[in-house]
Amino acid sequence: MTTIAGFGHCLPEDVIDNAALSAEFGVEEAWILSATGIGTRRCVAPGETVGDLAARAALAALADAEMSATDLGAIVVGTGTPDRQFPGVSAEVQKRLAVPGIPAFDIHLASIGGLFALATAAALCGQYGPVLVIGAEVMTPVMAREPRVKETAILFGDGAGACIVSPGDGAVTIDDIRIASDATFSDALRMDFGGPLVMDGRTVILQANRKLQSAISELLARNGLSPSDIDLFLFHQANLNLLKQVGGALGISPEKVFVNLDRYGNTSSASLLIAMSEAHAAGLFRPGTRSALAAFGAGMGWGAALLSFK
Amino acid sequence: MSSTADKVRSALEAVARAPVPAEDDASLFDAGVIDSFGLMEFIGELEKRFGVRVPDEELTPRKFETIAKVAAWFDARKRG
Repeated sequence: MTTIAGFGHCLPEDVIDNAALSAEFGVEEAWILSATGIGTRRCVAPGETVGDLAARAALAALADAEMSATDLGAIVVGTGTPDRQFPGVSAEVQKRLAVPGIPAFDIHLASIGGLFALATAAALCGQYGPVLVIGAEVMTPVMAREPRVKETAILFGDGAGACIVSPGDGAVTIDDIRIASDATFSDALRMDFGGPLVMDGRTVILQANRKLQSAISELLARNGLSPSDIDLFLFHQANLNLLKQVGGALGISPEKVFVNLDRYGNTSSASLLIAMSEAHAAGLFRPGTRSALAAFGAGMGWGAALLSFK
Repeated sequence: MSSTADKVRSALEAVARAPVPAEDDASLFDAGVIDSFGLMEFIGELEKRFGVRVPDEELTPRKFETIAKVAAWFDARKRG
């Protein structure tokens, strides 16, 4: 058995709304909302780093789990936007938590990093004990790089989510988790050193649509479940239109799909863990229910997980 | 016009966001007939009507840019 002992998240205070982007790019606010489902995004303050967000989310998760940092057996951080090439965000978090001697490493993946970190933690926790999982991104400075393109600038926001994955039984169990990668279309979503984020939106959406559907379908089939057996679906918060298409294709009732991208935008590898933390805080992980998670990202990578609640 | 192109055009008309161009080789993206999300709907409609699943590795926007290209792809699949 693998359990999630606590959740946390951190969102910077500054907000970028559609009015600002509308003025910058000469497009209607209504177009931004209809193209993405996003109303506002959070943005780091000058000097605020991805390490800052990651550490705050970590402390919130530890508090929620009623654990001390010294209880941790490992730290895994999923991020596509570390503060520096190395050492990683995980080193900054380990330093701030003052827990030397345990493995701490980054999984350098955009958008899918949170789910890959969760899967890695589930595999490690039996040997190392409780694993701190973090998804953290500071996307807005990346979006400021030239050439600034409206199709990507309107999408992304900053934030961090975290959870503690522990061996044994608990109120939230990870019943199944699978991840996969295929680099066939990896150039369709990329960011070179110092360069802007490059996205071939059509290719990314086609692949994301298919892979999210298959990840959920295969997860449910492996566990003898159908979409109606799942009470809440949490997807990587990429774009509301994508979530609607995937949900529609799978026959999922829209009210079962968790959405917070209207407030935070696409926070890349942080989004799934922020969504989990918010759903937990809102009391949506009710005893006797199940949740399915799914994400897709650069690489390209994808995966899904099944959670149940006691 | 081939019958395959007719079938493709009919599928496109079911999901089009703008008038479908008369020419089979007109770019559907440039004409605003399908956007990024409409493309997936178009492919879904094609799969339903042709009874063929487009493999993930074949899902490239270029293949679906014109009616002629789509028809050629389905014709090639039919020939095996």
